[in-house]
Amino acid sequence: MFEQFVDGIFWDIALIVFFVGIAWRLITVLLLRNKRIDYSEPRNSGFSGAIMANVRGFYPRKEVSSRIRLQVIAGYMFHLGLFVLLFFAAPHVKFIAQHITGFSYITIPYWGFIVASQFAFAGLILLWVHRVLNPVTRLISKRSDHIATILVFVVMLTGCMALGEASSELRVLHRFSVELLMIYFPFSALMHAFMFIPSRAFTGAFLGRRGVKV
Amino acid sequence: MTGIKDKKSARKRKVIFACVLSLLFVLTAPLIPYVIDAHAEDDITSKADKPAALQHPAINLWNEVRQRNEVTQGTSQVKGVDSGVLINKTGEDWRRFRMEMLMPYGAYFMGAIIAAIVLFFLLRGKLRLPGGRSGELLCRFTLNQRTAHWFAVGIFWLLGITGLILLYGRFVLIPLLGADGFSITASACKEMHNLIGPLFVFAVLALLVLYIKDNFFNRGDITWLTKGGGMFGGHVSAGRFNAGEKTWFWLVMIFGFLLCITGLILDFSIFGQGREIMALSHMIHGISALLLIAVSFGHIYLGTIGVEGTLEGMTTGYVDANWAKSHHDLWYEEISKTSEKPESSEQDINKGITSSSTKPAPNPAGD
Amino acid sequence: MSTPLERGVDMLKSQVDTRVESYFSSCTHCGVCAEACLFYTETHDPRYTPIYKTEPLRKVWQQNFTLWGKLSSSLGLSKPITENDLSDWETLVYDGCSMCSRCTMVCPVGIDIAYLIRKVKEGMAAAGFVPEGLQGASQRALEFGSPMGLTSKGLLAAVEKQKKEHGLDIPVDVEGAEYLCMLSSNEVVLYTEFLTAISKIFSAAGITWTVSSKYFEATNTGVQMGNSVIAAQLLERLVEVATELKIKTVISPECGHAYTTFRWDGANILGRELPFNVVHIMELLDQLREEGKLKTTGSFDERLTYHDPCNISRRGGVLEQPRNLLNQVAPNFVEMNENMEMNWCCGGGGGVSSNERAEPLRLKVFNVKKRQLDELDVTTMVTSCSNCRLMLEEGLEENEMDMEVIGITELIADHLA
Repeated sequence: MFEQFVDGIFWDIALIVFFVGIAWRLITVLLLRNKRIDYSEPRNSGFSGAIMANVRGFYPRKEVSSRIRLQVIAGYMFHLGLFVLLFFAAPHVKFIAQHITGFSYITIPYWGFIVASQFAFAGLILLWVHRVLNPVTRLISKRSDHIATILVFVVMLTGCMALGEASSELRVLHRFSVELLMIYFPFSALMHAFMFIPSRAFTGAFLGRRGVKV
Repeated sequence: MTGIKDKKSARKRKVIFACVLSLLFVLTAPLIPYVIDAHAEDDITSKADKPAALQHPAINLWNEVRQRNEVTQGTSQVKGVDSGVLINKTGEDWRRFRMEMLMPYGAYFMGAIIAAIVLFFLLRGKLRLPGGRSGELLCRFTLNQRTAHWFAVGIFWLLGITGLILLYGRFVLIPLLGADGFSITASACKEMHNLIGPLFVFAVLALLVLYIKDNFFNRGDITWLTKGGGMFGGHVSAGRFNAGEKTWFWLVMIFGFLLCITGLILDFSIFGQGREIMALSHMIHGISALLLIAVSFGHIYLGTIGVEGTLEGMTTGYVDANWAKSHHDLWYEEISKTSEKPESSEQDINKGITSSSTKPAPNPAGD
Repeated sequence: MSTPLERGVDMLKSQVDTRVESYFSSCTHCGVCAEACLFYTETHDPRYTPIYKTEPLRKVWQQNFTLWGKLSSSLGLSKPITENDLSDWETLVYDGCSMCSRCTMVCPVGIDIAYLIRKVKEGMAAAGFVPEGLQGASQRALEFGSPMGLTSKGLLAAVEKQKKEHGLDIPVDVEGAEYLCMLSSNEVVLYTEFLTAISKIFSAAGITWTVSSKYFEATNTGVQMGNSVIAAQLLERLVEVATELKIKTVISPECGHAYTTFRWDGANILGRELPFNVVHIMELLDQLREEGKLKTTGSFDERLTYHDPCNISRRGGVLEQPRNLLNQVAPNFVEMNENMEMNWCCGGGGGVSSNERAEPLRLKVFNVKKRQLDELDVTTMVTSCSNCRLMLEEGLEENEMDMEVIGITELIADHLA
């Protein structure tokens, strides 16, 4: 019965909440709030500043890179690892083809999946340990940061438990945790996955107009 | 004001505890139907009498085929490692080692360590800080060292628990979950253990690089050991790490290294390892794991409830000066000559007090 | 009659716009901003983490603009914002932040934290949690036209002194001049060599310029305090005199926030385009150099370095011009290891210098500049902001460092051909 619930209606709910929620957040933030025109005479193009800020934001400034090595390395390990296994692992591609896109695409070999998941787990655990130990992040972290980390970890852990596809219970547990994450996603800190683009763009444009490269 | 803070941190602990319990519940909930089934089946046990043993008519032939006396390699059209072996005799040796030696002795060893800890606690109790806290803090572990330690802890326990379930699960969990329930559990644990396993390599390497400097043995360590580390009364000198800590470090390095090598052999069995290598690796893996798990109980005890003032060194990075004087006096003398002392309690900053004070805080960050 | 808390919260709510929402929705509390902030790196107090200083605004956003926030507020599950949420942040925002925006440059998700701090200050100012020093400076600016209480009489006396001591005629209230030069009170009272310098340079370059006796103050305490109403009032005075004198271009002097206020933020504070162009004195001098109207002779041979004022370089975009000018006269000009848009703040911007309470902290965070200077082994520091100059001098004195601090304009004028 639980399996039917998870594979059936709860999946539909999660899908709707996820896509509608994200769209809702993006529309309200980007279109419905006060945007304030900049009346000053620009020195350079704000548009190119916005694009460049999005590109340059992917690597840290050399002036701080030695201080933030762990966050950068573990951050990329986690994000890249998760991206690869989420979108290119064979069981996921099969699922996406069946339930979302209708078509299949290239998958990574099994060893690639293993390597990606090693990076993802190591990155996530290191980041969370660092978040708790560093006095700065311990002070500024909110409940939603910890909930998001734990939810993502549970999704990854249940995924790894279900790897042998030995039982439907483990697959259902994994899917259930994914659905919980999808419902939590649009109204949490995880929205940074989408919001970082307008965030960098606004600052890039703001400073780009002034002739400063972010 | 202190009362409000205590209530806040107590509430925070309850919330965290509730979250951890919920998490465990979510992860184990799918097994509930199996628990119910397992106990329902207990009433239907067949206790039919076993027939009396009869000698097999072709026993001699079978013994030869079975290769009980010597192993001979045959030929086969199947190409592969060990494909010329019809029946693997060494497999039985391995199975017997696992069932008759590794598992029981491992359990006894772990039990003995736990019993020793309990006994020690009942007799000596928590080793208090002589003279109480001075309030003066010294930086003991940097952020990188603490991150590496707790990362290793997380990986060690993920692997340890899944490994123990794989080893002992059938005795403890089948009665609880039934065969089907345990099958799911064991499958999940196997996948988890195999996937997380390689991360232990990085954990051990990180610990090696970050902690090796002060962990070499010297003459003073012999004195420390002969005096029982001051655990039974009296004071004994020690540097940054005492002989007990150094022993633990090298145990982790040696047996951790063995765990890594054997684990990788077992995990990635596609490189031509035959059954004998796999069996040997498993034996070494099992012994190393049980040894480390058992000794880790001691490390955990001493690092948490056993010795007052120790845990904060690995959580905040700072220890009280009295703790340093009492347990690592030579390190205390060295460090108090050179390092900058913090001006306020790191504990206050960690609790995120939002007072208007601009008092600076100590820095446990950096290499 | 609303309470300070109500006024503060209402003001903070009105400050939430697209940028604010994008920023708070993107923040993952990674703590990287702390590693760029001198108030954190020199004290290791995590409360000076830049994004932590924006907590009052974040709480208001979270409770009024997010689903969970609105839900838990309506169900009484979240802690309501109290007056302490504002008053406890006064020292963090006003003493422990110079709005240098170095944090903005390193944030992985591109949050302009200085922009958020500016908005937090609006809330603090509305609630009345502003340091006494800044409040006093603001009152004096509104009443006398200068945060130091300097009136037009003081300016005219300084102009007279220039004539007596240097034989220089400083044009006052000249209608139709090409440039109106604003001045910070520091330059009228303390660093009078700036007046001497521009007088010589403009005369040699043959450009027409003037100061205004009606309103001459470049600084804007409304901006420093976070009070847009006061900021707008002070800006309107500039617009009035510039319009009266039919000025096409206003010169922002050697002052940091004056430049960003006139050039970049002023039009937005007033909600309309300004009826004149704005240049920083560095931009104008470099332009004159390019046009061949600024000829120099000789050189300043001391080993010197340039301190980038945050509002002029990182926030203002005037990065190359000071260097072009220095390269003209200073053959031993060496750069600090972290410079241009990643320079370290002097510690005194954003109103911190007017805040006596912040002095011990400000002097402590000067250690970062001290380390930069110790690496370079220079005898002179040059800058293009009189507030930075003052802060640097105080920091050097506190650390018993024997080093001169001079302004670029003065250096150029000393080497005019």
